Amino acid sequence: MKVTGMQVFWMIFIMDLGMTLIMTLTPSLQAAKQDVWISILVAGCIILLATVLVTNASLLHPDQNLIQLSQTVLGKWIGKVVIVIYLVQWYTILPIVLRQFIDVIHTMILPATPKAAVMIIMLLLIVYATYSGGIVSIARCSEVLGPIIILMVILALVASLNNADWKYLLPVFVDSGMMGVINGALPPASYLGHSVEYLMLASFLYQPRKGAPYAYWGVIAATFLVLIAMLMATVTMGTNLAPKMWYPFFEMSRKISLFGFIENFDPLTIVIWVASVFIKLAIYLFITSYGTAQFLKIKNWRTMIFFIAPVVMAFAYFPRNVSEATANYLLNYWVPYALPINMIGLPLLLLIVGKIRMGNT
Amino acid sequence: MTLSRILYGCLTLIACLGLLTGCWDRKEMDDLALVMASGLDLADDNQIEATLQIALPTGIPSSLQSGGKATKPVLVISAKGKDGLDALGKLQQQLSRRINLGHRGIVVVGEKYARHGFDQILDTLMRSPESRYNSYMLTAYGTTAKKILNASYQMEIIPAIGINKLQYEDFSLSVKMDKFVDALASFGKSPVSGAIRIIKQSSGEQTFIIDKAAVYQRNKLVGFLSGTDLKAYRLMTGNIDGMRLTTQMEPPQNQYHGTITIHLMKAKPKIRTRIKNGKPEVSVSFKAAGRIISNDTSLDMSKVIPLVEKKFSEDIKKEIASTISHTQKKFKSDIFSFGNQIHIEHPYAWKTIKDHWIELYPKVPVQVKTEFRIERVGRTQAPAHQQKK
Repeated sequence: MKVTGMQVFWMIFIMDLGMTLIMTLTPSLQAAKQDVWISILVAGCIILLATVLVTNASLLHPDQNLIQLSQTVLGKWIGKVVIVIYLVQWYTILPIVLRQFIDVIHTMILPATPKAAVMIIMLLLIVYATYSGGIVSIARCSEVLGPIIILMVILALVASLNNADWKYLLPVFVDSGMMGVINGALPPASYLGHSVEYLMLASFLYQPRKGAPYAYWGVIAATFLVLIAMLMATVTMGTNLAPKMWYPFFEMSRKISLFGFIENFDPLTIVIWVASVFIKLAIYLFITSYGTAQFLKIKNWRTMIFFIAPVVMAFAYFPRNVSEATANYLLNYWVPYALPINMIGLPLLLLIVGKIRMGNT
Repeated sequence: MTLSRILYGCLTLIACLGLLTGCWDRKEMDDLALVMASGLDLADDNQIEATLQIALPTGIPSSLQSGGKATKPVLVISAKGKDGLDALGKLQQQLSRRINLGHRGIVVVGEKYARHGFDQILDTLMRSPESRYNSYMLTAYGTTAKKILNASYQMEIIPAIGINKLQYEDFSLSVKMDKFVDALASFGKSPVSGAIRIIKQSSGEQTFIIDKAAVYQRNKLVGFLSGTDLKAYRLMTGNIDGMRLTTQMEPPQNQYHGTITIHLMKAKPKIRTRIKNGKPEVSVSFKAAGRIISNDTSLDMSKVIPLVEKKFSEDIKKEIASTISHTQKKFKSDIFSFGNQIHIEHPYAWKTIKDHWIELYPKVPVQVKTEFRIERVGRTQAPAHQQKK
């Protein structure tokens, strides 16, 4: 299984973009109000830093993925602890993303359809994509879907231009202040932080040593689009209403009304949503199955898919309501633990220990 | 390996086909009651009375027939309930088709309900997945929403579409739901909405007219702007599409009324604020340009442009100043969003005055400066008719 640099770019881009766009806007808006765009810039910088750490860490042993790398660098036992920390992240993000996917579909378009129906389609799809070709088929899918997603986002943004009231961006900075901006930066930073998965993807590259720029550009492109999209959502929905909505980006597309006959553009954003969730879930399913198989020394990683998929489905039922799935997980696990530990702390640890060991030998 | 993969792929596809149809949310066109407009009133027993105007399948204009028809094209029904949705549930029991709010273009609130104050219907408007922000918000002037929705309208087959077009063309004032709620949620801005009423033509036919603006303070209706006040408000929002202004240039004489009418082409309101000794002050500067479309005076238009400009500038200044003082004294409602401007220009001071802005607003001194420019005078210079001496 080998992927090209471009494919890694698209995978990281899609993983970062879709979910950040739709899931993290509300908590950021609540904290930073009209300065949400500053927050995104801060978030982008944090994650770019994390990506630099991650890519350098993977350069320690370019042919190894995270599971092997952490054991080579940190030794058998500490390495295993580190892997378990990442496994927790992967096993929790999968059901949560699936659940968030269903919540959006329920809230916005199909309120009466049973959860299981929507979940099973998505699960079948990602199981098929993962099983049939592993990372290769997912990578090719993202190469196809990535440009479509960009096109849809840009369409939604351009069509909203006439609804924009730029006064909503004023006054700059004073209302939220430094703390507001930082607090507003954390949720998007944590969702943009999926670039940490580069540690798992790098070893599949044809040229693992040359993969880093693709990861950087993936993060930069995603941050840029998120920045513009959040800006547009703020100026179209207004700082009074947007923080009170679950999915302001969707609401923005609902407001689109052009020439009196193009109205109700929400299918456009549903395309963005479904496509990016599909890629994200598929990548995580692959990483989780592959990582678990390697961790437990199971020869055929594909068998793991059939254990993990039902578990994911069952776990997706755990959150009792939409705020547990969307807000609680994000603010209680993803921001305070996953962001500082999984995305910054552990890559830094790997990098430092790896460099010291290299210096010694 | 390949055979099993093909089999597997087919299975997945079939499963997806079965599930992707989304049958649980299936809604057939002929099972829907398409609500074109809804109205809310406060009934005598403090219940909410909801009125729906539903397009009948025969009434929806098709490409073949677009003129008026003898049969009534809409169904108007009302019911009372604890809140809007409760009433809606009762209405559903009379309807063989499911109520669908996706095409609602108009929300009318009766005057009595508006004066009483409404919060929760706005919540319903935003929360329901079917609801659209692009509906127009209207306040019934001197009547109930029920009466408005029951009135017939000659120009369009479905009256609600008539109201919708009146609003879309924006001849007086049109406010969409999200803008209304946004103003309601904002500290430095008070909501306004168009005010609709029914008038009888001399032929006995009814028609709608939207010639007033309803002014709210928080969520309560406090009064209406009409005539020059509404004009001044539209000038201040820069919404001048098709607006004309007439002024008394000369005292009326035998042959002349002494009036000049201009067609506004540009309007640029600018609000500046200052904080003086901790107290906010507002100055409004308004620049406009227009062309003369009618001259009923003895003046030669090519020669007196500066005079006319000055006269109009003074007129506009007077109108704007009096409208602002109306909103301050009579309504105590900041519909010009001066508060927002203070927020933008003096964010630190705003933090302290934000919470009592409503009490502060009537006392804020406002200065008005206007500038008017005439760009064209039309095709003639002096009036074409002979001056009789």
